[in-house]
Amino acid sequence: MQTRSLVLIALFTAIIVVLGLIPPIMLGFFPVPIHAQSLGALLAGVVLGARGGTLSVLLLLVLVAIGLPVLAGGRGGLAVFVGPTAGYLFGHLPAAFIAGWVADQVSKRQLNGWKIFGGFFLGAVLGVVVQHVFGVLWLILYVGLAPSDALIGDLVFVPGDLVKAAIAAYAGQFIAQNFGARTRVA
Amino acid sequence: MNFSQPAGSGPLHRLPPAAKLAVLFALSVLVFALSSAFALGVIAALVLGTTLLFCRPALRQWLASWPLLLTIALVAGWTAFAKDPETGLVLLLRLSALSLFATTVTTTTTIGQFIETITALARPLERIGIGNAADIGLAIGLVIRFVPEVQTRYRAVIEAHRARGLKIRPATLLVPMIIGTLQGADDIANAIDARCIRPEHAKPN
Repeated sequence: MQTRSLVLIALFTAIIVVLGLIPPIMLGFFPVPIHAQSLGALLAGVVLGARGGTLSVLLLLVLVAIGLPVLAGGRGGLAVFVGPTAGYLFGHLPAAFIAGWVADQVSKRQLNGWKIFGGFFLGAVLGVVVQHVFGVLWLILYVGLAPSDALIGDLVFVPGDLVKAAIAAYAGQFIAQNFGARTRVA
Repeated sequence: MNFSQPAGSGPLHRLPPAAKLAVLFALSVLVFALSSAFALGVIAALVLGTTLLFCRPALRQWLASWPLLLTIALVAGWTAFAKDPETGLVLLLRLSALSLFATTVTTTTTIGQFIETITALARPLERIGIGNAADIGLAIGLVIRFVPEVQTRYRAVIEAHRARGLKIRPATLLVPMIIGTLQGADDIANAIDARCIRPEHAKPN
């Protein structure tokens, strides 16, 4: 791996960490606070691509595992990996990979504004869906919740995560148009 | 963000991290193999006893991680209500014993020890040609170094919004933050290569 790729990945992990530290962003038309950390995982995929985004999220999970308080609310340590919501945490990995893979395909083609946004949004939504599948499966198989209960608990978070996918796609489109492919990790 | 290093020199601190992680893994398999509330109660009591005897700060740390405890209490409470109280109790004992032990492992192991262990675990990957084990420590160091930098950038973007009387919106906040941070990548990469920190990747010129 080139040193530049390594630096891009580490810098993006730092961005994800900071997104977890800042207060939730309030959206004007949406009266819900958006917790920015899971937004960070999608952004990592959209901006860095499949390989870079996945490695960036993996680096975040390594930081969590070694006990640094890098998750939202200053959480960290091995305990979060055995908690009831750990499925969503692991789910960040495939989410970043899928969002990144689709974004890679989109940015290979010469597309204009709205098509880039559409492609990025599709990738981010697929990533969110897979992350939620991981989260729900963890709740069912590991925690032992009834599938219907796990699904209902999960659905509460779907609208917020879809808004995050839209934000990630919008910001990703800006960055792709103004910064080009220089942010993609080869 | 404070990176407080666990201090102390109890018997748990002296165990090799790999052994503690192996015990944690074995414990997680064990608590999911057992399904009687009594057996799990014994295990939970053993874990609690070990923590009280050897590492009390871990218990404090565990109680301080209330969001995690809240989710455990919620799922256990819901299971007790929807199924039967015993299943709820089993779930509560299982997850709390496991999370308490995990917190103990985290509290009794320094970040340096963890990095060494991860690097050692990554050596076999290096031998079959995936990645470079030493890069893991470098990447972790880079993140710790640049979190305050990104925080400063975040504050600068917020200030710029205030100065212009703009509303803070996700896109106008994220885009300058990301572009500003990633633009430094070339300089940082050159600085790393100039110092020969990754000799095998030194640039030819």
